[in-house]
Amino acid sequence: MTYTDVLLQQVINGVSLGAMYSLLALGFTMVYGIIELINFAHFNVFMVGAFFSMWILKLTGLAGQNVILTGFPLVGILLLALVCVMLFCGVLGVVIERAVLRPLRNVPGTAAMITTIGVSYILFNIILLSQGAAAMNFPNPMPKVQWNVTAGTVLKLREVLLWTISLLLMLGLHFFVRRTRLGKAMQATAQDQEAARMMGIEVDTVVMTTFFLGSALAGAAGLIFGLYYNFASYVIGYTAGLRAFTAAVLGGIGSIPGAMLGGVIIGLIESLGGQLLATRWTDVIIFSILVIVLVLRPTGLFGRMMIRKS
Amino acid sequence: MSKMNRRQLMLTTAGAFALATLASGGLAPAQADEKLVTIGIELPLTGADADSATRIKNGALMAIEEINGKGGINGYKLAVTVLDSGTSTAGQYDPAQAATNAKKFVADESVVALVGPEMSGEGKAMTPILSAANLATVTPSSTNPDITDPKFAAQYKPNGKAIYFRTVTTDAFQGPNMANYMRDTLKVKSVYIVDDSGAYGVGISNAFEGQAKKIGMNVMGHDQLDPKEADYTTIITKIKGLNPDAVYYGGVAQAGVKVAKQLYEIFPSVIKAGGDGMVDGGLLSAVGFPAIEGWYCTQASPHVMDDAAMSDWVARYTKAYKMTPSDYAITAYDAVQVIADAIKRTSASGQEVNRDTVRDAIQTTKIDTLQGPVAFDENGDIMNKVISVFQIHHDAANPEDDVQHQYKYIGVAPESPTS
Repeated sequence: MTYTDVLLQQVINGVSLGAMYSLLALGFTMVYGIIELINFAHFNVFMVGAFFSMWILKLTGLAGQNVILTGFPLVGILLLALVCVMLFCGVLGVVIERAVLRPLRNVPGTAAMITTIGVSYILFNIILLSQGAAAMNFPNPMPKVQWNVTAGTVLKLREVLLWTISLLLMLGLHFFVRRTRLGKAMQATAQDQEAARMMGIEVDTVVMTTFFLGSALAGAAGLIFGLYYNFASYVIGYTAGLRAFTAAVLGGIGSIPGAMLGGVIIGLIESLGGQLLATRWTDVIIFSILVIVLVLRPTGLFGRMMIRKS
Repeated sequence: MSKMNRRQLMLTTAGAFALATLASGGLAPAQADEKLVTIGIELPLTGADADSATRIKNGALMAIEEINGKGGINGYKLAVTVLDSGTSTAGQYDPAQAATNAKKFVADESVVALVGPEMSGEGKAMTPILSAANLATVTPSSTNPDITDPKFAAQYKPNGKAIYFRTVTTDAFQGPNMANYMRDTLKVKSVYIVDDSGAYGVGISNAFEGQAKKIGMNVMGHDQLDPKEADYTTIITKIKGLNPDAVYYGGVAQAGVKVAKQLYEIFPSVIKAGGDGMVDGGLLSAVGFPAIEGWYCTQASPHVMDDAAMSDWVARYTKAYKMTPSDYAITAYDAVQVIADAIKRTSASGQEVNRDTVRDAIQTTKIDTLQGPVAFDENGDIMNKVISVFQIHHDAANPEDDVQHQYKYIGVAPESPTS
């Protein structure tokens, strides 16, 4: 492996890492964009999604990474798992919203945000107590295909899968928010809740849909995480969440393209910083860049998505 | 009732009580049928280390039950208190919780000695507290040498007396002996070292690094990993770019699972080695075969489990606890034998059995146990220093997480290199 190969490989690693963070940041940033709530529970809904999709895949008879499928069975099983986990996590998100956050919707201050931290811990501990703390092997039917970009650099099928799903979900979300009626209602609610209500928009439905979508995206991220890293563990929400949160803020919280860009930037810093300096400096570099960007541009790189304070 | 009557009643009752006390005061107090002392067990029973900790616990419990079943020691029966140092925030052993457990044991007067802890990070937190109370502990698996090193005596045994005894040897041998083995037997010329930032991981990888450099291996780098992070592709790609012959991982299962999985994906051709932190059933099932195949690991104790003389013990353990024993289950069993022998000698000499006398007796231990002869030097380290090397080979006839069968014993790691 020549040195250029190493650098190129790290770029590929960084963009893949970035795609993972972006995927995780997507739902999170969308929820903030619509209802201005930092939903800390998002990252543990992601973790629950990873375990749920592990359970679904085990139900189909898969175990470990040695049972390989191709073609239609592969696509079928992955789609099944994706749809199931998105539905499950979406419903989980709605349950959280209705049970815990709706009563707090008009309470000023940080009550709702702190409550999401509490929900986050509840999910964390439920999984810890029921599944144990040891990491668990994730059933993965994907074939171990890889392509040689250059003589020494490889691109793996799972990386292509990750990028494709992230892009599709981002585009899908973008399209949904911009073009559909419900999406426009979401934008209107984001601009001004009172005015939206006066125009006949069911704000309750909008908020519920927002949570459903955001949590469904978290669930999808959970499945992709499991397929990518081949394990699930109750702590995955914590570190991935911290980086994804940073990605969302860096890109401009509330902005979907911002989440993608922020994610890729952080992923690249992680991989190239680790290669050129040392991995223990990664956090220092990431957060220094975050601080600099926010000082120079407080709303993040792409600003926020149509939020105007009335 | 009139006041007079009530007062009369009270006086009568008081008088009756006084009479009764006087009467019984004359008799000798009732003798307890048996004397009870408590052995404490301190292990990270929840979290990523739960598998190895449970095997250790069962080894100790088996010894205690056998002793009680034979009638105890000179009339003393052994009670057990088990405390867990694993917490959900740490996801593995938690030194702060270990310190709390140490305080609980110290506060319990009936505790005369402890078995544990499993992890050196726990040990570092517990020893100042134990030393202040002169409460000895015999650890079956903690290998970081600092805790018994006279250089750090002020920190780990402020009271001056050794209280941290080991039925395993330390990383002062586990790391370097593996370096010798890798250079001499595996013909490794260059190595990259990673550790999991924990007390044990940093200690053993530093010891390994020191020896590797001394014997002429090219140490291409030494990096620290965050055990909570999921992605090590950056560091592994960097390692692949440098193309060492081997990678040495110092640390326990939480990071070890991810290191093993990702090394297999990115750089499968490299020789992979680790310390006793890699010997864990949970790690085997989380990583799975073929990803974990071929890993070398060490244990800081002689490997006696495959000996013919041990087959009965292994069978009894497996039957009683529905799991196969690990090498450290044997050292835990031996740790209880050490404590039992100390209690025996103390009570036989007529002294009261308390933590001070038991500590002194443990210091002068000279017994034969399952692993061989056990005696301690003045710091509490075991005299017999043996490092055993294993390699993971898939045994399809046994379950994936079977620690006894998936780790194949290769031999003893040499204490000094051949050249």
